[in-house]
Amino acid sequence: MEEIKDQAYFKELAHRLMFDLSDEEALDIVKEFKTLCSQLELLEAIDTTGVEPMVYPFEAPTVYLRDDEEEHVISQEEALSNAQKVVQGHFSVPKVVK
Amino acid sequence: MKYDVVIGIEIHCELKTKHKMFSAGPAAFGQRANTCVNEIDLGHPGTLPSVNKQAVRYAIMASTALNMSIDRLVRFDRKNYYYTDLPKGFQITQQFHPIGSNGYLDIETEDGIKRIRIERLHMEEDTAKQFHLDTQTLIDFNRSGTSLVEIVSLPDMSSGKEAAAYVSKLREILFYLGVSDVKMEEGSMRCDINISLKPEGSEKYGTKVEIKNLNSISNVQKAVDFEIERQSKIYDENGRVAQETRRFDEATQTTVSMRMKEASVDYKYFPEPNIFPILLDSEWVKKIQENLPELPDQRRTRYMNEYGLGSYDANVLISNKELSDFYEEVCKVAKDGKIAANWCISELSGALAKRSETLSSMKLSADHLGALINMILDKEISGKQAKEVFEDVLEGKDPKEVAAAKGMKQVSDTSAILALINQVLDENPQSIADFKNGKSRAVGFLVGQVMKKSKGQANPAMTNQLLTEELKKR
Amino acid sequence: MTIVEMLKDKEHIEERVYEALEKAQKSQKDLNAVVTFIDPKEQLEHLDEVKGGLLEGVPVILKDNVSTKGIKTTASSKILENYVPVYDATIVKKMRDAGAIFIAKSSMDELAMGGTNLTAATGPVRNPHNLECMSGGSSGGSAALVAAGVVPMAIGSDTGDSIRKPASYCGVVGLKPTYGRISRYGIIPYSSSLDHVGCFTRSVKDAAIALEVLAGRDDFDMTSSFEPVEHYIDAVKGDVAGKKVAVLKNVIDAIDNEATMQCFNDVLDGLRTKGAVVEVVEMNEALLKALLPAYYLIANCEATANHSNLDGIRFGNRKDAESSEEIMIKSRTEGFGPLIRKRFVIGSYGLFVENQEKLFRQAQRVRRLIVEEVNRVLSEYDVFVAPASVSGAPKLDDASRDQLSDTYLVAENHMILGNFTGYPSITVPMGLSDGMPVGICLTGSAFKEGELLNIAQAVEDVTGLCDMKVGD
Repeated sequence: MEEIKDQAYFKELAHRLMFDLSDEEALDIVKEFKTLCSQLELLEAIDTTGVEPMVYPFEAPTVYLRDDEEEHVISQEEALSNAQKVVQGHFSVPKVVK
Repeated sequence: MKYDVVIGIEIHCELKTKHKMFSAGPAAFGQRANTCVNEIDLGHPGTLPSVNKQAVRYAIMASTALNMSIDRLVRFDRKNYYYTDLPKGFQITQQFHPIGSNGYLDIETEDGIKRIRIERLHMEEDTAKQFHLDTQTLIDFNRSGTSLVEIVSLPDMSSGKEAAAYVSKLREILFYLGVSDVKMEEGSMRCDINISLKPEGSEKYGTKVEIKNLNSISNVQKAVDFEIERQSKIYDENGRVAQETRRFDEATQTTVSMRMKEASVDYKYFPEPNIFPILLDSEWVKKIQENLPELPDQRRTRYMNEYGLGSYDANVLISNKELSDFYEEVCKVAKDGKIAANWCISELSGALAKRSETLSSMKLSADHLGALINMILDKEISGKQAKEVFEDVLEGKDPKEVAAAKGMKQVSDTSAILALINQVLDENPQSIADFKNGKSRAVGFLVGQVMKKSKGQANPAMTNQLLTEELKKR
Repeated sequence: MTIVEMLKDKEHIEERVYEALEKAQKSQKDLNAVVTFIDPKEQLEHLDEVKGGLLEGVPVILKDNVSTKGIKTTASSKILENYVPVYDATIVKKMRDAGAIFIAKSSMDELAMGGTNLTAATGPVRNPHNLECMSGGSSGGSAALVAAGVVPMAIGSDTGDSIRKPASYCGVVGLKPTYGRISRYGIIPYSSSLDHVGCFTRSVKDAAIALEVLAGRDDFDMTSSFEPVEHYIDAVKGDVAGKKVAVLKNVIDAIDNEATMQCFNDVLDGLRTKGAVVEVVEMNEALLKALLPAYYLIANCEATANHSNLDGIRFGNRKDAESSEEIMIKSRTEGFGPLIRKRFVIGSYGLFVENQEKLFRQAQRVRRLIVEEVNRVLSEYDVFVAPASVSGAPKLDDASRDQLSDTYLVAENHMILGNFTGYPSITVPMGLSDGMPVGICLTGSAFKEGELLNIAQAVEDVTGLCDMKVGD
């Protein structure tokens, strides 16, 4: 059983994902989280002792590696075509604090 | 108070692949901004990664040279964080299954050989380059996605000297393997150092401090030494060392704080779903491992055994691979490796330094230098003449032709020299008298006369000896 | 009109394409299914270069998460409302080389994360069979436009059931082949290990033609398969004599809609008449109940990472702010709808170090057990089948399918089995339930699309619902 989290928790979590939640949205998540928790119980109920996580639908290893000879490049114009601010061929953003 | 020091080093090294780690975008340097990119390097929606075979080859080579075990099942993971230089919002790396693990490197210390254990070597991709101006940051994605290996040591070092020796040795190995440019000053090899102290005899180490931005091996040593002193002082005064990232400041030769370390960031690592595990062909791996280029240690031993070099000379040559490679070419012609080494280390290096040139920018050929050395050994020309000829050899000229054109050759034929000596003695009775009266200066004068008559080609040592003998006969 | 019919007449390609474009434009008022129209002029001029292709002169619509060079591709999200790709998805090249003419990009649930098509930035898509009903999602625009007879073929993508559910609601064929059968390169993702590309058509034969064009290895997608591509059209005979069909007991037990079950049972009877062995098979109920929560976690954990690139820095809708971090936050806050942000929050929660083992990794473990359970069934049967939806398309104001809900936990979500396993799965219309179309979903073994299509053809033969018209 998951511990029930509050609005502030999810707002903070969202902030770490680089977006904000309104009070209403956060409340909505709190509610859905309760449903999720009850469904997670269904998940937790499954005994997975000794079972490896399945990451890929097919698990026979592949052998393909890309040859370092082929080249695929786009023009600077294309690279910058979707940018909203371009300065001397660069993407420009307000100064990033390191 | 005395302190024990533990130092661990993480090294990021750009691989010399032609294209990027997960895209066929060109991995070129010094190009116009955002001209070596494609939609993958820019993290455009819908793009997918594909693994560069050459990067895997290089990672295997490096892992092998560092005595590591290779995981033939290559797997990648995502490291998630948001930053303007990270186009996808995650970096593809090998968190859970590095291709190389459990290796080591032996370094030379004052107390002899010390083994530094290496925990892991993994492949990953580089970030974009940012230029921070007054009010804005400019981003160039040319570097984005460039293939990297990260090599992580265990905290087995305990001084600035050892840290520098480790970085230097590792750098030399990667350079000899040809897998990286390892230019610290240009950032193709980057070094992060973790360092912590504990009072001698105590159990628990203090706070770990990370030092970044070390752009030379000498700075590695300086930064570590400074940091040991700084932390010791804090502990001596019963202070607390902050958990932070510091950088080496060139101007003040000290480390300065960059940022405090937050309570560890959760990168939410998970296996990269877009790259199925890749099983490397065991024959392919074996072939790479068996055909590793000669490593610096092997070459050092060979120079000492094969050419009879002392360890100093051998080290000087090996520390400069271009010179060392050239030296080997010279030795294919030259009959004496030791003399060849002297020429490479002193005459050649001196000439290059004087001209501010490199071997590759000169027309000089190794064959010619070898031939020149043989001409000295065969007494065809004198050492002094050789130095004069060398000036032209540096310009790409054949030493035989140069010597001939200058009319240089060394007469070492006894009868020819004797004939000249007797001619000179006949012409200078006064000098013979002087010699008999004990004026030894007369010998010098007479040798000079013989050299003059021979147009400088008589072997001076032989001339001197024969003249003295002839004088005594008169 | 079907592809098969169109290919018989190559004299009137241009008229046909412009007719389709006009139809699409006219449908906008009712269906609201198109995000961007594409001028076919240039494509028609180059049609000579691809003569004889399997899709020669066939107008095709692309879901708006298919990257098209020089043509806006929004994935129905505000954050991408101005994004113009600099490259084509691999399937775009393949279809173009086969002679397809693209006339529009279709609406979808925002970033393909929904099942209603109510969350598209351009508003809900309506069902051509009843404009008060939803198309279903996430590939709702494509389903609706094929159902309305605008085009014979449209591309969709399917992470949970995003092709097969709207196909059921709209009365068209929806095919999601094996994972890796069709390249995902250039498809704006939802969840990488569950995403499939597929298509909507008006007949099973058309689906076979479409698959043959779309399928094949692509070095740009390391998960795409080297398995040779079959000549699927030849495999589609509708011959099911001796074929073994498993009926999922867990699903039919949970369906209380008599009309739907009537259609379903009629199809089964028809298959039996044709000589198929149809048997009811039960899967482990506990595993099936864990299917949705496991899916929800895997999909959203992967999605939150997959969409971290949408930050307004290099492309897409950048909101101005004082700092780069604020630009990201503002762009993402305003650029994503509330449902998307909710799912990212849940996904990220599942990935945290302290939660990952018991949430994301547990979900992946359960995935393995579920796949093993499916394999147990498919080791004895050629396909397993179940109704693709409990009823016809819900009304537009019913957003319950995008809410996490316990209602019909198994009955409405079983098609996720096809995504967990990566096995080929298809929805074929099976009739009307309360006046709205419902489909039957068939799922077969990996890379046996030929066999799956063959059995699907038999279903179509039984129902007679090839090229189903609105109002049928």
